[in-house]
Amino acid sequence: MPPLLKLLLIRLGLGILTLFLVSVVVFFATQALPGDAAKAILGKDSADKVRYEALRKELGLDRPVVSQYTGWLGDVVRGNLGNSLVGGGAKVTELLKQRVINSAILVSLAALFSIPISILIGAFSAVWRDSKFDNAMNITNLSLAALPEFVIGIVLVLIFATTVFNWFPSVSNVDSRAPLSGQMDLFILPVVTLILAVIPYVSRMLRASTIEVLESEYVMMARLKGLKESRVLWHHALPNAIVPTIQVIAINIAWLAGGIVTVEYLFGFPGIGSALVDAVANRDMPVVQALVLLIAAVYVVLNLIADILTILISPRLRTGLR
Amino acid sequence: MSTRDKDELGFLSKPVTRRQVLQGAAAVGAAAALGSTAAACGSSSESTSSASPSSSAAAGAPVMGGHLRVAAGQGSAKEDLDAHATAYTMQSMDMRFNLYDSLLEYSNEGVLGMALAESMEPNADGTQYTVKLKPDVVFHDGSPVNADAVVFSFERIMDPKNPGLAAAQLRGLTPGGTKKLDDLTVQFNLEEANAIFPEALATYSAAVVPVGYDPKGGEGVVGTGPFKLAAPGDFQPGVQCVMARNDSYWREGGGAYVDQLSIIEFADTTAQMNALLGGAVDYVNMIPGAQRQIATDAGNKLLEAKTGSWIPFTMNVQVKPFDDVRVRQAFRLIVDRPQMIAQGADGLQWLGNDMYAPFDPGYNKDLPQRAQDLEQAKSLLKQAGQEGMTVKLVTSTSVSNNAPAAATVFAQQAQGAGITVKVDNVTGDVFWGDQYLKWGFAMDNWGTRGYLAQTGMGTMPGSLYDETHWAEGNSKYMDLVKEAYKTVDDAARNDLINQASTIEYNEGGYIVYAFDNQVDAMAANVMGMVADFSGLGSAASNARYRLAYFA
Repeated sequence: MPPLLKLLLIRLGLGILTLFLVSVVVFFATQALPGDAAKAILGKDSADKVRYEALRKELGLDRPVVSQYTGWLGDVVRGNLGNSLVGGGAKVTELLKQRVINSAILVSLAALFSIPISILIGAFSAVWRDSKFDNAMNITNLSLAALPEFVIGIVLVLIFATTVFNWFPSVSNVDSRAPLSGQMDLFILPVVTLILAVIPYVSRMLRASTIEVLESEYVMMARLKGLKESRVLWHHALPNAIVPTIQVIAINIAWLAGGIVTVEYLFGFPGIGSALVDAVANRDMPVVQALVLLIAAVYVVLNLIADILTILISPRLRTGLR
Repeated sequence: MSTRDKDELGFLSKPVTRRQVLQGAAAVGAAAALGSTAAACGSSSESTSSASPSSSAAAGAPVMGGHLRVAAGQGSAKEDLDAHATAYTMQSMDMRFNLYDSLLEYSNEGVLGMALAESMEPNADGTQYTVKLKPDVVFHDGSPVNADAVVFSFERIMDPKNPGLAAAQLRGLTPGGTKKLDDLTVQFNLEEANAIFPEALATYSAAVVPVGYDPKGGEGVVGTGPFKLAAPGDFQPGVQCVMARNDSYWREGGGAYVDQLSIIEFADTTAQMNALLGGAVDYVNMIPGAQRQIATDAGNKLLEAKTGSWIPFTMNVQVKPFDDVRVRQAFRLIVDRPQMIAQGADGLQWLGNDMYAPFDPGYNKDLPQRAQDLEQAKSLLKQAGQEGMTVKLVTSTSVSNNAPAAATVFAQQAQGAGITVKVDNVTGDVFWGDQYLKWGFAMDNWGTRGYLAQTGMGTMPGSLYDETHWAEGNSKYMDLVKEAYKTVDDAARNDLINQASTIEYNEGGYIVYAFDNQVDAMAANVMGMVADFSGLGSAASNARYRLAYFA
């Protein structure tokens, strides 16, 4: 078996184990929260003991905790994520399908733009170190990194959607009943917000590692051989400089997938972040589990991809595998 | 919460012909001034002729067409369109108001009148009500609204295995108690006298649905409302609900003007306002007081409603020192109500006088408005041996966003009477947990209700949410309320209510310092919306979106 495939299989196995442990932790963490789904649904009305007990029974909350968990796990293994505990008890997959698609598009667009932009900014900042461009980028990046993403979002809305210009939609209430292709303008401001939130980390990381590589002896060797500076940068320096950046990119995209609740709130965007907050407030265990597992799976997969890319790109690791 | 209010004279008489009063643009703008409500100016009665596009576009004449997009707050996957289930979010209510109708209904001023019913006659002792239905009314699916549908609806509500929200309010009705007399006549036979049965028939959760009704999500949602669900997928809990005009709406000349109504949900009030400012929606429900200026500065209009919903301080007489009436009286005198309204609620409240149900015809308007009197409070506390006492006040944002601020203001005001109030701001899980109804000094939230309906929910012994446990020690009060429940004659019942609420004014366990106002914001071209007293999800609650049209 090729060593890379073996590594892939081992890591995938560990990934599944991770997901299982996450589900156990999440389940018992939800149990530790005060109240339960019946109380969360009824609120003040849970003072009505008859209705409260009837609802608990209907939701299966009167069963022992461990049997609730094993019942859920059994369903998941059979490919059934179960039904939501609240509302009409819709299937979790139906309930979340559109939100997952929305979030996936949002994150993909953000990644698609932010990664190349960050790499360009990082690389040119390193090459033109201490130039006006580098200084300007440094100040911009540090300012952006210091601002929470919802502040960036609010400023963008003020400037481009409500108060100053009226160029883009101020909210992103994507309508799942219409084709998404006609609603791409709704993604503009949230995507820009996320791009601005990601760029500082990735580009500063790349700048630092590129500077380090540019000062290394093999780059000096390449220059002494008389190679063009552009070839030195893109073919010799950057592939090595980008290795540590890959991990940063992976973590940032994973963060986008799981941690953009504030941006969803700000834009009224129907994504998985706000669904997760709602589900936790409702103690809606099947929905919480499905979303947390999805987010955990994104982390596992992105880290795996990052590790494999790292191995493929860096010659030392690549040859070390053999 | 279930809600809805008002008791009324109208229900014995012939059907009230409801002329809808349209509020002109100028009136809406003026509504920014606190307290203006349901101003009826530029009124024009609706007529079917206005439905014709060729009708002259005289000033204020409603125009057909358009898509009204409403930004609603606090959406949640908990939403459900079942006409009889508890509406766990304001948005569920807002949607249901548009999709369903009940036999009776309240006007925007809180007067009870006929809806799907043409008339209603009680018997002499209030144990039997005979309802005649309006003829030729059809459901969204074209089937007729007849006695069979009404019997099915009320049997569904009274189903002992899964009672509807209205079951508790339909006191006296039991499964099998609803009888068809002929195709358009139904008789409700009650096991005990219930003079406010008509109020219960007007609640939104006593809606009439077709035989066999059993909705699941957006499937099978059929009612008689001014809007209908065109496709099951148009209802997405926590995201939006899109409704189309019901062209066969029963109300004479009262159908909706807009072709489409979308209730779009936002988790965040800033996003709601941004949606209005950016033109993504036309109407925003229940804006925080601080956003009024932002809305009007950008050329939008406000609609402000005085409602009967209230956030009381609750003094539990089973916990010392609140067993002593002098302590309760002193606490009521500590409150500087205008300051509480200004600082605790951004001015979005109106003065309360320690009695609830301000829209009830039996409400005692003659009692003096209670005001802060620290000397008197100190003296009462001294008599009670409670000078310099320390007490814990339990509050939570899940009671109301304003509740913790009101509690803090109370604590400051209490210093003036020499007592120490420690504010304990807890999470909703804790507040509504095992200690709810056992807290000594806490807060609560209540919707707009008639006096007797409210006593059945929160004051009388055995009611579900009796925070103060005050009435059980007062047999004179209990006798008055029980008598009122049996009194079908309006004037006599109102007099009993007046007497009962006066006892509460003097001795009760609530501090009702204010009632809530609600403010909606809308684009300048949205016309016709009217402020409503009930405060359910919107300043124009009871979902009067059918009144809206675009200029």
